Amino acid sequence: MPENVKTGETASQQTKEKVTFAGFLKSHATDLMAYAGLAVMLILFVVFNSGPRLMYNFGSVIQAAAVYAILSLGAVFIYSMGFMDVSLGQQVGVYVIMMILIGNKIGGIGGVIIGFLLVLALALVCGAINGAVSIFLGLPSIVTSLFLMFFFTGAQFLLMEGTGENTIALEVASALRPADRNAYSLMLIGIIVLLALIGTYFFKYTKLGKYTRAIGANKVAANQSGISLVKWQVLGYMALGFCTAVASFVMLTRTGTAGKGTGSGYAMDIMICLILGGMPLKGGMKSKISCALVGALTYTLLSNVLTTMGVPLQWVNFVKALIFLIIVLLTCRKSTGILPR
Amino acid sequence: MKSFKKIIALMLACCVMFSMTACSGNGGNADGNNGKHVKIGVGLYQDSGAAVDAVKAYLKNLESTLNVEFAYTVLSTNDEALNITKVQELIAAGCEGIIITMDAGMDAILAECRDAGVYLAGYLCDFDTSYRNNYSGVFENEYFLGTVGDGPCGDHTTRGVDFFNSVIEYNERNPENPIRHVAGTVFPAFAFPYSKVNFDQFVAEVEKYNAENPDKAITVDPFNEETDVLMFKPVDSTYFSKHPDIDAIVAFNAGSFVYPSMVSAGVADTMKLFAAGYNDGDNAVFGSKGAYQQEMVCAVESITYPLVLLLNKINGASYSDQPETAERRDCSTMIINSDEDLAKFEHSIYLTFQPEDAFLTPEEVLNLTAYANPDATYAGLCEILDHMTIEDLK
Repeated sequence: MPENVKTGETASQQTKEKVTFAGFLKSHATDLMAYAGLAVMLILFVVFNSGPRLMYNFGSVIQAAAVYAILSLGAVFIYSMGFMDVSLGQQVGVYVIMMILIGNKIGGIGGVIIGFLLVLALALVCGAINGAVSIFLGLPSIVTSLFLMFFFTGAQFLLMEGTGENTIALEVASALRPADRNAYSLMLIGIIVLLALIGTYFFKYTKLGKYTRAIGANKVAANQSGISLVKWQVLGYMALGFCTAVASFVMLTRTGTAGKGTGSGYAMDIMICLILGGMPLKGGMKSKISCALVGALTYTLLSNVLTTMGVPLQWVNFVKALIFLIIVLLTCRKSTGILPR
Repeated sequence: MKSFKKIIALMLACCVMFSMTACSGNGGNADGNNGKHVKIGVGLYQDSGAAVDAVKAYLKNLESTLNVEFAYTVLSTNDEALNITKVQELIAAGCEGIIITMDAGMDAILAECRDAGVYLAGYLCDFDTSYRNNYSGVFENEYFLGTVGDGPCGDHTTRGVDFFNSVIEYNERNPENPIRHVAGTVFPAFAFPYSKVNFDQFVAEVEKYNAENPDKAITVDPFNEETDVLMFKPVDSTYFSKHPDIDAIVAFNAGSFVYPSMVSAGVADTMKLFAAGYNDGDNAVFGSKGAYQQEMVCAVESITYPLVLLLNKINGASYSDQPETAERRDCSTMIINSDEDLAKFEHSIYLTFQPEDAFLTPEEVLNLTAYANPDATYAGLCEILDHMTIEDLK
């Protein structure tokens, strides 16, 4: 009975397709919600910015999102292992101050480049320390990053105190970026895209990404499979260090100045960006580079849209907190707790 | 299916929330000589507190007469990136003029203003870093219109003299229990360069007084770098052991950095506090009711200076005596150093939030603008800043 067989196969296929589609929705619910959140923000952004200032505001969003996006791209490598780094903001603050001090001391663009290279080296060393110490001492990663946070807080304070000023400015700041605002926005987009491509390559197609995700999914199983926890944890943190140095440079191109508050709050902002982007805080195989970009854009657009909509000042943080809470609750894994998956 | 319901519920909740909180600008047009409809952004230094509520109440009352609406945000003392973002958001929200209270990231902020054709002015900030290090970049920038300080600006400071006068006034009111021994607190010089200058000014005044009145001499404890410089944290408990037997503290910072430590140390009932700034609830422990014997604030109405400059510029008007470059203007200070002063202060807009208690009515502010009143002058605008003292309260 070919007909019956054929009919039976079709029904089976249809059932399979239904199950697959439902399964797809279920397994990608967090991603879909993250993209939906970004889409809603983009729609609101266009609606409330229609007119001559749309392009201006688009540039503003790119400027504000750039540092978040670059830091988030690096943070994906450690969040995928289920770790976090609370020293990010203070590191950014110290790195920007160092680049200004070194740049002004040596002079010219060359001084800034030397400053950046030194900062890059320091960021990589700090990343390595952050990753290695927690393994060697058996400490939670947040504890070692707390140590770095206090260290950099003190360093930032001492550096600024040494200048005798509340804020310091880079003498060649105007030379670091195109004078034209749109050209600067394009430059930032270029940096973000380039880093996203590099990040995607390393995270998706190399051992670095595969092993860090494996460590996040099951540390013991990963270790027993021959994955060196020390090596890949250190490399993951160094990837974040690289992005932190680049983000600091990007921040310097934007502000041209730094103070003792530069970078404050960035560690929490990055965590929020990643959650808004659909990043599972426990890390694992569902971690994606796209979470960084989606989250950074959504977070920046949210702040921008709330202001352009005229939401009263005292309600802005409340609305942000409410949206954040709703997203966390919607994406929670009921069987295990309140954090996304 | 449950996920879909959740998504829809989230989106609906967001839509409702956004629509409820969305801007409800009046969109009115200018009538007569009150200028075109303008939106002004105000970047404050905090999002709540008496001063914030008072300035909002004052500005709200000006909206219809001056045909202006206001949008608010909060800036950071030293996070330049945040300040730039906040200014960009105000520009995106349609502001044609922005009043800011912070001097951080000014080059980048003014570049944003240039690109957007938006003007900027300062309030409660002397822009001292820019004034000393980047005068041409900021004060000579065509998009920066000027600023009014939180009292006397820079070298004009008289805070040390004001503190000294308050101590002497207290002694004259309390001859049976005068203050004879004091110590000070200041903020670090890198953040507030004139804080220590004010303390030194106070010491100089005391020395002058002691020379003329040896029988009423006041002792000022030598400045102690370790305990007297407050790194934006409350006074350390060791302060009182380092400064034993003092009758009072002269705090060249807000009393909130000192008073809680006085309470913790059990000296709030016996020691007096002369402080700069005013915090909510201070009046409950002021004068005969507690430790506070002096507080000083600038009237919120001093925001009239940057506001009028912005409105003039946006409406294409200027004064006949308009200076060529932007200025930073001193503002008179309301010094509260007696129960009587406090009683007057409690009837100011600073604490009542009632526009009728303000120094200026909307009509008076409109009359200060060059476009509404051709006879208005820059000197006239500056003069109002000299008449916002406790004695000037109606």
